[in-house]
Amino acid sequence: MSKPINSSEITPEALYLSRRRFIKNTLTMAAASLYLSACGGQTAAGPTAQPTSSLPLPSAGSSSDEMGNALTTYDDIIGYTNYYEFSTDKSGPTRLAQNFQTSPWSVQVGGYVNNARTFDIDELKSLFDQEERIYRMRCVEAWSMVIPWIGFPLHKLLEIVEPTSDARFVRFETLYDPDQMPGQRNSFFPFPYIEGLRLDEAMHDLTIMATGLYGRDLSPQNGAPLRLVVPWKYGFKSIKSIVKIDLVGEIPTSLWMASGPSEYGFYANVNPNVPHPRWSQATERRIGNSGRIDTLMFNGYEEEVASLYDGMDLSLNY
Amino acid sequence: MKPTRGQLITAFLCLLPLAVLLVEWHNGSLSANPIEALTQRTGRTAVILLLASLACRPLRTLFGLSALLPMRKTLGLAAFAYAALHFLIFAGLDFEFNLSWILPEIRQKFFIQIGLIALILLLPLAVTSLRRLQKRMGKNWQRLHRLAYPIMALVLWHYFIASKGDILLPLIYIVFFIILMLFRIPPLSKISIGSKPRWLQRLNQFLLS
Repeated sequence: MSKPINSSEITPEALYLSRRRFIKNTLTMAAASLYLSACGGQTAAGPTAQPTSSLPLPSAGSSSDEMGNALTTYDDIIGYTNYYEFSTDKSGPTRLAQNFQTSPWSVQVGGYVNNARTFDIDELKSLFDQEERIYRMRCVEAWSMVIPWIGFPLHKLLEIVEPTSDARFVRFETLYDPDQMPGQRNSFFPFPYIEGLRLDEAMHDLTIMATGLYGRDLSPQNGAPLRLVVPWKYGFKSIKSIVKIDLVGEIPTSLWMASGPSEYGFYANVNPNVPHPRWSQATERRIGNSGRIDTLMFNGYEEEVASLYDGMDLSLNY
Repeated sequence: MKPTRGQLITAFLCLLPLAVLLVEWHNGSLSANPIEALTQRTGRTAVILLLASLACRPLRTLFGLSALLPMRKTLGLAAFAYAALHFLIFAGLDFEFNLSWILPEIRQKFFIQIGLIALILLLPLAVTSLRRLQKRMGKNWQRLHRLAYPIMALVLWHYFIASKGDILLPLIYIVFFIILMLFRIPPLSKISIGSKPRWLQRLNQFLLS
């Protein structure tokens, strides 16, 4: 008779998987170093780990947004990011996210809906037309970019799952995987990253789920494979690498609301009249340009979205 | 008065961060937001140099290195220079000397007010580092320069509130400052290694000459 296996001797699944990943990463690195040494000291060109030659050239349907603002360069968009799951340094995510696994990837949509279900990322891409949207992106840190996103309006996804009458807010959640996202071990922040929108904000046609930019798939540091983009709100609302979307009845508490309630509110609409204790919200610097420019109400989308906030005091609902 | 060798070496080391910054600025390798990088790095350099100047006194007592005292003056002046540069980058490069932008910034942001007070307080310290003034002021000079400690506290407070994600670094500096403050009070302030080994004596002589 074989000796019974103590339950304490069984490798927990998470540990087993992380070992597998370690082995895989080690092999990948070994292969990469062989490849590099075979190239005779040539360094890999291009900003991503994928062979650049296999990717389409960065391209966009237009060279500016509807106001005539020139697009931010592809290199600046992928080289300067806030993604604390990888690093608090702006160039850190570009380095640390290169081996981030974005496939397979599934997104669970549930809560107050009639058709709760899980979508595969490839299904999401084929289910909806992928359209280009050129949006200004205004970071709460007073810098901004003009980005040609690829994606689909969030309302198309919500229409499939059918929110019930109890649904009032949408709650989004980023992947939690400290093995892949070393920054999630940073105990200063209550990971996983959470964000939320009011249902009418989520249903607005400007609100999109982005899968790419500049005609390419999203790079990991920009939130691959699926992120939210809400152009009239500060950048931190546009949550990255989403794995879960829930329709809920109560206001979701976002990561930033939890870690700095006096500085970050639920709405976080771009508003030059509501100051922030750290950065100027009246003016901003467009990445790639040298001068400072005035920040526009709702980031220049006032005509489209101001009616969502009729009768609200925006300095209280910041 | 002729500067000591220690002061010359210190001055050279203090200029290095500026040289690196200028080269990186010239190459365009200061990130996609170079003005932010310039602001943050000149500020951080000022913090480090100010801490280094405050470390001279305890290190002198601990190891009997009298050569550190003239070097302290160089470090303090360099810290002031980086702090002034940090402010000029904020007001000039970042806010284009536009008072209608700068004044609301100062009014609305507590951390800028603290930083500004620290910089203004550093000014008389920098001016009175002239040897002639130091002699004339006698005991008052020492009293005035004890301001360096509250200024350091203000600077670290400013740095801490100005940081968003990276509070680890300001926390490390704060801990370092607390340790330095502990070395100002007895019995820690009296600790010394006693007789110096030969190489330390030689090092001291070398830096003093």
